[in-house]
This record gives sequence, C-alpha cells and structure tokens, in this order.
Amino acid sequence: MSKRLQDLRRASGRRLRAWNARRHGADSLPLTINRRRIYILPTRFGLALAALLAAMLIAALNYNSNLALAFAFFMVSLALVAMHHCHRNLSGLSVDVNLESDAFAGADAVFHFMLRNESSLERSGLEVSLEAEQPARATASVPAHSDERLVLAVPVGRRGVHRWDYIEVRTLHPFGWFRAWTYVHASLTAFAAPRPEGHRPLPSAAGSGHAPLGETHGEEEFAGLRPYAPGVALKHMAWKVLARGGEPAVRVYTDLGALPEWLEWSALEGVETEARLAQLCRWILTCESRSARPYGLRLPGVEIAPGRGPTHRIRCLRALALQPGVA
Amino acid sequence: MGVCLGLAIAAHIASLPLWLTAVAAASVAIRLFLAARGLAAPSRPVKLGIAAASIAILFLQLRTFNGLSAGTALLSLVAGLKFLETRTRRDLYAVALIVYFLCLAALLRSESFWLLLYLIGVAWLTAATLLRLALSTPRHGWPVDLRYVGRISAQALPVAVVLWLFFPRFDAPLWQLPSERGNAQSGLSDSMSPGDIVDLALSDEIAFRVRFDGAPPPVAERYWRGPVLHETDGHTWRNLGPTAESAATLTPTGPAYSYTLSLEPHPFNWLFALDWPDRWSVPDGHLNADDTLVQGAPVSRPLDVSASSHTHVFTAEPLSATARRRDTQLPSNRNPRTLALAVELRRAHPDDLEFAQKVLELFHREAFFYTLSPPPLGANSIDDFLFDTRRGFCGHYASAFATLMRAAGIPARIVTGYHGGTYNPYAGYWILRQSNAHAWDEIWVAGRGWLRVDPTAAIAPERVEAGLDGALAAEPLGLGIRARVPWITDLRLRLDAYGQLWRQRFLRFNQVAQLSLIERLGIEEPDAEKIALVMAAGLVLAFAWLVWQLRREQRTEPTDPAVVAYRRLCRRLAAVGLARRPHEGAEGYARRIGQSRPDLAAAVEALCGSYSRLRYAKSSPEQGAELEAFVARARAYRPRRKP
Repeated sequence: MSKRLQDLRRASGRRLRAWNARRHGADSLPLTINRRRIYILPTRFGLALAALLAAMLIAALNYNSNLALAFAFFMVSLALVAMHHCHRNLSGLSVDVNLESDAFAGADAVFHFMLRNESSLERSGLEVSLEAEQPARATASVPAHSDERLVLAVPVGRRGVHRWDYIEVRTLHPFGWFRAWTYVHASLTAFAAPRPEGHRPLPSAAGSGHAPLGETHGEEEFAGLRPYAPGVALKHMAWKVLARGGEPAVRVYTDLGALPEWLEWSALEGVETEARLAQLCRWILTCESRSARPYGLRLPGVEIAPGRGPTHRIRCLRALALQPGVA
Repeated sequence: MGVCLGLAIAAHIASLPLWLTAVAAASVAIRLFLAARGLAAPSRPVKLGIAAASIAILFLQLRTFNGLSAGTALLSLVAGLKFLETRTRRDLYAVALIVYFLCLAALLRSESFWLLLYLIGVAWLTAATLLRLALSTPRHGWPVDLRYVGRISAQALPVAVVLWLFFPRFDAPLWQLPSERGNAQSGLSDSMSPGDIVDLALSDEIAFRVRFDGAPPPVAERYWRGPVLHETDGHTWRNLGPTAESAATLTPTGPAYSYTLSLEPHPFNWLFALDWPDRWSVPDGHLNADDTLVQGAPVSRPLDVSASSHTHVFTAEPLSATARRRDTQLPSNRNPRTLALAVELRRAHPDDLEFAQKVLELFHREAFFYTLSPPPLGANSIDDFLFDTRRGFCGHYASAFATLMRAAGIPARIVTGYHGGTYNPYAGYWILRQSNAHAWDEIWVAGRGWLRVDPTAAIAPERVEAGLDGALAAEPLGLGIRARVPWITDLRLRLDAYGQLWRQRFLRFNQVAQLSLIERLGIEEPDAEKIALVMAAGLVLAFAWLVWQLRREQRTEPTDPAVVAYRRLCRRLAAVGLARRPHEGAEGYARRIGQSRPDLAAAVEALCGSYSRLRYAKSSPEQGAELEAFVARARAYRPRRKP
C-alpha cells in the first residue's frame, strides 16, 4: 500500500514537473524563484495535524467549549499563516549553480550552489537536491540581504556522463506542516572520469615509449617566444612581455624532454577497456603533478593536442569519461 | 520536546492516575539520561514489555479506553513511552501531535483562564521546538525563535478571532456528553443526617452564582431549593428519587423575580432554583413531585439557567393519601422522648399551625444554641439533641422539627438547598458557596399547601438575616476558616467578578450571543446565510491584513543608512541606463561607469569609494562624519542622462 502510494506520488511529481517544464522552459541561471513556480502542499505531519484539529473542532463545537474552540481556531489560523511563511521562504530567492562538475567514478561530484537573498527576511531551512529522488541534499539558511554558498556532493557511480534534468529547492520552514518546493530546470552534468588505477610506467616522450620521465629536468635553454595558448603552465608565461603591454606569450625552451608526451590508448594494447582508461587517468594525473612537460592524449576518435594546466587536465579527463564503454 | 510533553501532561495531572504520570515522567527522564550519556535507547522487547504492562494496568484501573479521561490517560502514557524510542524527526512530530491533542483535551474539560494561558505557553514552546526541528542545525538561540513564533502567532490572531466569533455554533450537541461523575465537586447529597451540613459549612467552594434582573427578594425569602427529604429511620433523612407523582399546581401570589443562575458542576441533577420557580430556560428541565427544578442529566459541566420564581405561592389541592402516609412516617422504636413530647404538646394544640408555632417557641425559649461544632449524638439522636445537648446546626433543627411534626400527625418534609448569599458589588451578582447550604422544613397546611418553616430562624435569626458569618461571629471555630480581613474579602470579590466576566463574555458565547453581536453590527434579522457572509467578509479583512503585514515585513529596508543611500544611488544610475551588475562591487561599478561615462567618473568614484570605506574599512571615530557626508551627497546626486 505504502509502495503504491509512493509510486503515485512519484508519478504525480513527474507530471507536475513536465507541466512545469513546458510552462517555464529551460531556466537560465541565476534564477530568481518567483511565486508562480512555487508549489506547496501539507506534509504528512501537517495532514495529521489537520485531522487532529478537525476532530477537535467538532468535539469543541459539540461540547460547546469556547476555550477549546478558541485554541483549535488559533491553531487553524496559525497553520494558515505558517503556509504563507513557508511559501514566502522560497519566493524571491535566487539560485545559481555550476552546471558542470568533474569527478572520479565512485566519488562525489560537487556542485556549488549560490543562494542569494535580496530581501530583508531571513530564509531558513532551505534544502537543495538534484531531482526529487536523489538522496544527496544540502541544507542552508540565508540571512537577510546576503548570499550563502552551498556545497552539494552527489555520489556518482560508474565512469561516464551523468545528467540531471532539474534541481529541487524545498523548505519545511517554519513548523514542518507544509513543504514548499520549486523546480529549477537546468541540466546539470557530472563527468565521471575513471578512478585512477594501474601501475604501468609512463610512456617516454614523443609517444615512442622510451625515455622515462624526469631525465630532462634542468637542461633547458631559452629559445624564444610563441603566442599564448590555453593550458600553459603559469611559470612559462612571458610575464615581462605582458607587463610591457604586449600580447600574451609563452617562453619556449629547447629541450628534447620538453617535446610533448603522448599518452596513447594504443600503448596499452591488450588491456581491458576500463582498466586502460583507469591507467590513462593515472598517467594524466602524474603528468600534471610531476612534470613541466605538456602532454597530449590520443584515444580512439579523439586527439587532444599537448598542453598543461587545470583546463587541459579537465579536457583530458572528460575525454576519458566520454569514451564509450565496452557494453 | 520532552519539556513540552511534560508540561502538556501536567495540565492533566489532576485527572490522571498518579502512577501513570510517574511512568511517563520516568520514561522521559530515562531517555534524556541515556541521551546525555550517549547510550542507546532500550531494546525493542524491553520497550514493548513496558508499554504492554502499563497499558494493561491502565485498562484494569479504568475498565475502558472510551471517553475523554481514559483517552487522555492512554495518550499521555503512550507519549511518555514514545520517548523511549529513537529520536528521529518523525518520532518527535508524533510527540508534537500528542502534545497538541493533550492541550485541546485539557481545554475541553476546563474553563480556566489560567489554564488557557498556560497551554498557550506550552503550544508556543512546542512551535518553537518544531521551528528548530525543521532546520538541521538551528541558527539562532531560543529567544530569537520564540520571538519569531510570537510574530507568527500575532499574525494568526485576527483570522482566529474572526473564526471564533462568527463560526456557526451548534444549538444542541450532536452526540450526548459522556457524564463524568468522577470530577464533580462536593455539595448537597440525596440524604442527610443531623450533622452533615456542618461539613459543607466549612467549605468555601462556590455552588452557584446568581444575578437578579431587577431588585432581589428580601434575604428571608431567598431559599434556593435542592433535594427534598421524606424517608427517615429516625436519624438519617433520604430523598425518594424520581416518583410517578406530579407536583401540585401552585398559584403565585407575590411578585415574580427573574434571575440567571450560573451553576458549578455537582453530581446530581438539581438546579437550585429560587423557591418557587415557574419558568426556566433549560430544555429538559422540569419540576419534580417535590417542586424542585431538575434536569435529565447531572450538572456535570458549568451551566447557566435563566429562570423566574415567585416567593409566595399556595395551592388549594388536597394532599394525596400516599403522600400523607409517606410524610407522616416515623420509626416507632426511635426517639421515644421526642414522640412523647409531641403527643403531649399536640393535646394542648390541636391546630396544626398553632402546634408548629409552639414548637418554634420552644426552640426559641429553651436554651438551644446554634453552632458549627455540635456534640456527637447517640442512637436516639433527636432525643439526645432535644433533651441533652441542645447544640446544633440547621440540620439538627430541621430534623428535630420534622420529627416533632410527624409525631403529631402533621405531614412534614425536610428541604435542603442554599440560603442567602454574598453580594459581589463589583459585578452585581450573588455568590452562593457550600457554606450557604441550608436545611429547612415544610409542613402541609390544608388550603395553603406546603408551607415553609425554618426552625433555624427561631434559634439564630441572624443566620437567616445576615448569613452564616453573622450567626457565628462569636464562635471561635468560624474565625479559623473564614479570614475576616476586609481587603482579602474585597480582593476575592474582585477576582470573582473578573472570573464571571470571563465566563459570561467568553465561555458562554453561544449562538444567541453570536446573533446579538451580528445584530449590533447593524445587520437585521441575521440568519445562517447572513452569518456566513459576515464571517466571509471578516475573513477577507483578516487575510488582507495578513498579506499587508507579510508584505510590509518583506519590504523593510536595510537599517544601515549607508546601504539605503547606496541603493538609492544605484537606482538613480540605473535610471540613466547604468545599472549595477549583480556581481559588481561598489568600486568595480564606479570604474565601469568611469569608462563609459567619463563625465560622471569623478562624482561616482568619490561616492562609491566613500561607500566601500564606510562598509568595509575598520571602524574609526571619523566614520560618523563621513557617513553623514556620504548620505547627504548621495541623496543630492542626480546623474545626467546624456554626457
């Protein structure tokens, strides 16, 4: 019975969401929650209280007990006001979030929410989750005229791309008798890179798999400048040139070891797909943390030109996440 | 939440079995103790065992789970035991529901203003607890949360008042009230031994209050009629209970007095109308064969009765043979000296009225005393009283008089009820306490009917004229129970007057009062439809007020004058097409304006710089002056639309 009730709730939630999505379309962030998109319903606790009050009202009317009647009417009225407070707690709040997040399989994808409260009222007991059935939720209260950052860690399972179609922001404030909620139709994506695993040595520079990493350290000579491209380590930037007002440029060194290192799918012939990706992931992390050399990634159908830095790393990891699995 | 529950149960403490309160308190205490020690709650079988045992004991004691008291007891117990369970939010919600139920149940049974205040406090605390429960980690302390609940409550008040005033009331209950004899007060009973009323005379409990519509009858005529006693074993007199006989038709001779009685609950169905009632407002009220006004069920709740009475009546109907036999019955083997005295007196005075007069004269002439501490009497109690002790209270004189009358063959009966009363000058009504309980006699006189004779008046005329206090002024015992400090008496009367106001205006607000209120609003001949309209209009007004109130709260501007001035500045700049972007700080904003509108650069940068210093720099003594200057300049600043 309870299960059927839950199914019914889910189905009606889906229908409401679909209607809501048709009505509002995809939302652009930051979104200010207006009154037209806030839904409010009594909670189970609220319904139980309503039943109790109804019974008590009838009893009080029957016994003609003005005292009990006054108390019961006061509670009814309090519930009505609480409903307004619950609704108002969301109304006018603005929500922003990073739409993409990177994670490793089996760990958490982290979304940073920014809740902005322009009004003079405190917003308390706000709860944010991705989609209704997601168990991961984060709570916060936002004081008047201020912002609150909220970190939502969503566990991701398998490697791959995880998508959520909407965010649910809800509140039980003030007494837990009502639940007000709203859907923010924003597509959130988490790229789950494979968990870095494997102990094979890094292939040598130029993709031939010879010279181990580290040999070339300290044997570099300045050779000139080349135009800036994203992904270059900050320490290689020609800051002086930039300071003089020139175009951003990168210092280039002549060093055999500085030639890009290619991390290749084909270097791991004969290894099972997921393990291959896991090994590539470990190599990317190693290159990023240990070496100053740019590295490139070659996957079936994908080639990422050599580079360095957080953006480059994320590009590579996302490429790993996007690789189709065996199944 | 434990505290809230404790307080809610405390409201019922008088009507709950003591052990139950103890069990509930103990389980809350144990739970709190375990939680403080970080220990787990007791295991499931233990909890179930305790619960089953307690519920079984409760059932054995009450024999039912039906009815309000039993339900309250059961719920208090369950709520207490619920606390032994794990404390998830859901469990606490369940406890909150029980707390609300207990509050309402307590109010259903009580009429106390103080209880209402107390329970409002409990509900307040419960709401604050719920408020904190809805957050995973409370942000504010209790005072802030309690204030917030106070604000919500204040906003809820108008709607509640409108609902209370105009919500249609039932004129008759949908189902019969369960009569609860258990909590009824002390008072007159359906039997009396000579010393019985003494116990009542020591009680200050209020039996009823009465307000006369016009002038009250003289005190010598203010007899409030209760049960009439016929049957006697020579010592105890008993009421017969309902009989098939009907009362004789009484013809009034004196003026009518109309009045309103506010009865306190008592275990019987007597309504204590003034002798002799002819009209009353109780739907199932009627006069029984003894001319006492009664209703169908015991007066288990406070009851208001409007009635009118004539203090002088007569009937020409004859007394039925059954009644005559019954009201001359005496046990022949008791009180031989009294019987002999009656026979002797009767020989000299064959006329009934003359005989009665002689007996009263006897009481008056001989050394009889009126006292609250009569000596104990033996098996022939009337003999002992009349010939030996000669000290007694109204019960003694009434029984002795009735015995003498019956011994002389004159039908006589004892009437118990109340007499006199204390006037409350602050509210214009009379208070009848248990200490006003009284017993007197009625004898049958052909052509006149039952005639009231009060033998106490023969011994202590002050009792009838000035009340008990006057009659006992010289008696040391009387002083102990009735503090005769004028200002305390005065204070008590004032408090009682407020209590009556609360009852009349609040507790007795019924359909009639509702209609008259609506009539006073200028609506003629109100009917159900008009009441509904008035209520709807009231609700619309109340909700409009609420919405206005909520909006006003939300619109409250920031209190920092610097912020107010800065916002105004931003609005003015936005009006000329230079709106601040949400992410921009004051200085970044100024810089951007400087780039796009060099003509405004100097002024805006100065203002914004000043603003960020005021807001974010460390506070210093010069800030006061800078703030003033900033606010003044920001107010005066009007950016031009075109460069």
